[in-house]
Amino acid sequence: MRRRDFLRTTAGAAGILAAPRISRAADSKVLRFVPQANLANLDPIWTTQYVVRNASALMWDTLYGVNDQLVPQPQMVEAHETSADGKTWTFRLRTGLKFHDNAPVLSKDVVASINRWMVRDSSMGVGIKRNLDALEAVDDRTFRFRFKAPYPKLLFALGKSSTPVLFIMPERIAATDPFKQISEYIGSGPMTFKKDEWVPGSAATFERFAGYEPREEKASWLAGGKRINFDRIEWKILPDAATASGALQNNEVDWLETPLPDLIPLLKKSPGISVDISDDLGNIGVFRMNHLYPPFNDERARRAVQIALNQADYMRAVVGDDEALWKLLPGFFTPGTALYTEQGGDYLKGPRKYDEAKKLLAEAGYKNEPIILLVATDVSITKAQGDVTADLLQKIGMNVQYTALDWGTVGQRRASKEPPDKGGWNIFHTWSAGADCINPAPYTGLDASGPTAWFGWPKSDKVQAKIAEWFAATDLATEKTVIGDLNQAAMDDVVYIPTGFFKGYQAWRKNVTGIVKAPFPVFWDVSKT
Amino acid sequence: MLAYLIRRILATIPVVLMVALFVFSLLYIAPGDPAAIIAGDQASPEDVERIRASLGLDRPFLVRFFEWLWQVMHGDLGTSIFTNLPVSHMIAQRIEPTVSLMTLTLILSLSIAIPMGVIAAWKHGTWIDRVVMMVAVFGYSTPVFVVGYLLAYLFALQLDWLPVQGFTSITEGLIPFLRNLILPAVALGLIYMALLARITRATMLDVLSQDYVRTAKAKGVEQKGILFVHALKNAAVPIITIVGIGFATLIGGAVVTESVFAIPGLGRLTVDAILRRDYPVIQGVVLLFSFTYVVVNLGVDLLYTVFDPRIRY
Repeated sequence: MRRRDFLRTTAGAAGILAAPRISRAADSKVLRFVPQANLANLDPIWTTQYVVRNASALMWDTLYGVNDQLVPQPQMVEAHETSADGKTWTFRLRTGLKFHDNAPVLSKDVVASINRWMVRDSSMGVGIKRNLDALEAVDDRTFRFRFKAPYPKLLFALGKSSTPVLFIMPERIAATDPFKQISEYIGSGPMTFKKDEWVPGSAATFERFAGYEPREEKASWLAGGKRINFDRIEWKILPDAATASGALQNNEVDWLETPLPDLIPLLKKSPGISVDISDDLGNIGVFRMNHLYPPFNDERARRAVQIALNQADYMRAVVGDDEALWKLLPGFFTPGTALYTEQGGDYLKGPRKYDEAKKLLAEAGYKNEPIILLVATDVSITKAQGDVTADLLQKIGMNVQYTALDWGTVGQRRASKEPPDKGGWNIFHTWSAGADCINPAPYTGLDASGPTAWFGWPKSDKVQAKIAEWFAATDLATEKTVIGDLNQAAMDDVVYIPTGFFKGYQAWRKNVTGIVKAPFPVFWDVSKT
Repeated sequence: MLAYLIRRILATIPVVLMVALFVFSLLYIAPGDPAAIIAGDQASPEDVERIRASLGLDRPFLVRFFEWLWQVMHGDLGTSIFTNLPVSHMIAQRIEPTVSLMTLTLILSLSIAIPMGVIAAWKHGTWIDRVVMMVAVFGYSTPVFVVGYLLAYLFALQLDWLPVQGFTSITEGLIPFLRNLILPAVALGLIYMALLARITRATMLDVLSQDYVRTAKAKGVEQKGILFVHALKNAAVPIITIVGIGFATLIGGAVVTESVFAIPGLGRLTVDAILRRDYPVIQGVVLLFSFTYVVVNLGVDLLYTVFDPRIRY
């Protein structure tokens, strides 16, 4: 081949390669979405991972669903009645409900789904099960709860967005052991799951289910008419944040659920891309101490850290200098929600008290023993919090042992009740979605029941009493009073220390409209031109 | 030859078994807990424990190892803890992108690096030699992910010629296939090209100083014939050896390249499985990689006989 022929051929080939692609993915009836994480399975009861909950919300419908005011609204249910003593709740399903195999949704499916969910939902389901006399299918469209004692928060339990969500599955699938994964994906929601196109770690595809009948009401979060404007929603798993941003800029995907904060300035400058806060309920940073062993089995040692901890340091480390993204949080509940309170939050306000902290540590008998700080260095939020904590503990004279691990290992080690020097731990960090901190029901981290509490095993009778009072409360005014006292008690006993409130961004191409702020991606009413 | 082949194939069995035992032991002692990941951050310790029990992760090491080995001997690599899909199915889903990437990388690398090395040796000591060696040093010392990001930035984001990420099967057409794979193949191939070009140059320099090359020149054989017929054939054995050894580098590089370019291949499957502690998947993929490596090296040994008839087995 002559040199000129070779160059001509090469240039021609390059031109063909560079030609714009015409593909099904470019269709306005296909939404290309990049989720926060890999969709490795699709059983929203077996696992409580948010990404699974988010995919499941496309596939399965719920009896009730919280709207953007966090109020549960009827979804698959047409109406309900409550007995005068508040112990019996009778529900009637709406007509036209179908599973993806076109079988009708019946009460027996609902009862089986509730039974499986109750076992795994430690925030509310387990409590409901304990309080239950009977759960029964009265007829094909009617089912009934009979409680031993009134349970006023039932509708919230049936419609909450915190994991595990009570999704309704066919009876045969819901009969699966709650600790084993389902293998058949027959949904009751607006989209079907294309199992044959599922490549875990790469792609998951959902197709519109023609048999789904949305409610008449306008959609709002998990409530209302879930109208899907796409034939297909393609989830593309792009684990590398820079690649995901590049794919959005290059029009290879339409919507990024969680773009990397560092890349937000770049995306904001990119033509054709919109960037906005993803969820006003945001997240709460968590500083979790092990209450079983010294020094943090002593309230004075926990208090020492609490009065020295500067939330601004944590928040700047987690989300940077963009002050639209974070705020101080002298409380446990999500800012901007009905039950938010700062009662008892003075410990976290004002100048930090390092000298007083040192004094308290001495009073607690701390003698420079190593403090095992578990830091998941592969997760930016926990890594940032861990770095600030290492600095804080040194400032108050503690001998910190920074233990760098990956999240999988932290997940294992934090479950250890062994002493810190024998494979246990003293401190680890995580964060909670603000949607899970709106009240005590889904708030696992606030449970202070001791051995059965969440990792760290805090024990506070005052806190537990207030949580029980909240569950029994029947009006908002009473709830607010109780929550104020609960916040105070949890601050006094230092159940854990919130490190601040922070939000994240989402980004999408400007030809996509209808994206709303929510604790999970809401696909209904989104469209693309 | 046939006896040698059979001996070598039989020899792969203990090698693969040793790898299997090593990987299984490593995973057993490594920290991390898939049950905690499945249960999620807000799960109670009791739930995590029950999930662990339901997955059989609380059983003794030897019971789990021999059960897995028995499955493997029956052609069953097990089921993924997370996806509930057979590991063989997950590998089958992922094998085409990885094989495609590695094949294209090999073709690119061999077709560029060997002529580069030959030319550098031929023009030894000239500016051409120095440029080739500079490129080789650059290629060898630049991390794959840096090259990957730079290529994606230039050719996808700035010039808008190629996609940033993804994979298209060759069954959907050669052009879409190449559009997706050309940048990853260049990124992954750079280090391999550098290695091959350097070895080719060094070996060719040695061969070109041999008496028979001088004789060929004296007999008036043209330069092209000397380089590619006489010299390169005799330099082939060390080059082929490096091709075989470099295969392991290629596997390691594929893990990074597939992550940067979001190619749904075995490399990403491995990374995802390790991060989640999906033990059956890790074991299956490592077993496959080790078996492939053994087979590639067997192929390399057999190729020696083609290029050097003095070698007999």
